[in-house]
Amino acid sequence: MKEFEYTIKDKLGIHARPAGMLVKAASQFQSVITLDTGSKKVDAKKIMALMTSGAVQGTVVKCTAEGPDEEEAIAAIQKFFKENL
Amino acid sequence: MGLFDAFKKKVTEIGSPMKGRCVSIKEVSDPTFSDEVLGQGVAVIPEDGRMYAPADGVITTVFPTGHAVGMTTEDGAEVLIHLGLDTVAMKGEGFDIKAAEGQKVQKGDLLIEADLEKIKAAGYDVITPIVICNSADYSSVVGIADRDVNPGDTVIEIKK
Repeated sequence: MKEFEYTIKDKLGIHARPAGMLVKAASQFQSVITLDTGSKKVDAKKIMALMTSGAVQGTVVKCTAEGPDEEEAIAAIQKFFKENL
Repeated sequence: MGLFDAFKKKVTEIGSPMKGRCVSIKEVSDPTFSDEVLGQGVAVIPEDGRMYAPADGVITTVFPTGHAVGMTTEDGAEVLIHLGLDTVAMKGEGFDIKAAEGQKVQKGDLLIEADLEKIKAAGYDVITPIVICNSADYSSVVGIADRDVNPGDTVIEIKK
């Protein structure tokens, strides 16, 4: 299992557009990718789940990837967070 | 006739959340919606700022800014209604939230009351995409576009 922690910097948090982009990025991998916002654990491949994650500016998100391509998956998701959130 | 009824039963109908003109999702100028990244659906160009529940179910998310609502229908369809494009940046201004997360709703219950003129004046497009986020769970998600609709008129038909 691979993981990283990231503090959301975007003022608007994970709203519709970043959620859509994140699902697109996460769905390229076989690994199970989970975001834990402290209050909720959600599947990064599910739009509605992501939008209910409650991740806003300042939220510390713990992202984990588990599966055959977890290394590539965690690198891609971490890059996505740094560039978009 | 009997066969037709059997087919009809498998279809989940999603009503228009707003009064206006129903158009293809392809007409939305934001690729997040038009490329169906968030799921398949339609869009309504609203004439009135009141947004109603499109089906019976539970409200799964109300963005604190009031610009978008997600619900899960009794049949399990995950519907996202996004009032306007980039309207998250309005930070709640012009949006009056009438529903809460976890609330059970019936089709036609008022969810949001928006001031369309205010949103337009701020420079935002008020076109409202209605998408089925778990489209992949269904064999077909069909929008019924290119016509004027009242709240509750069927705009999407979903088949298992």
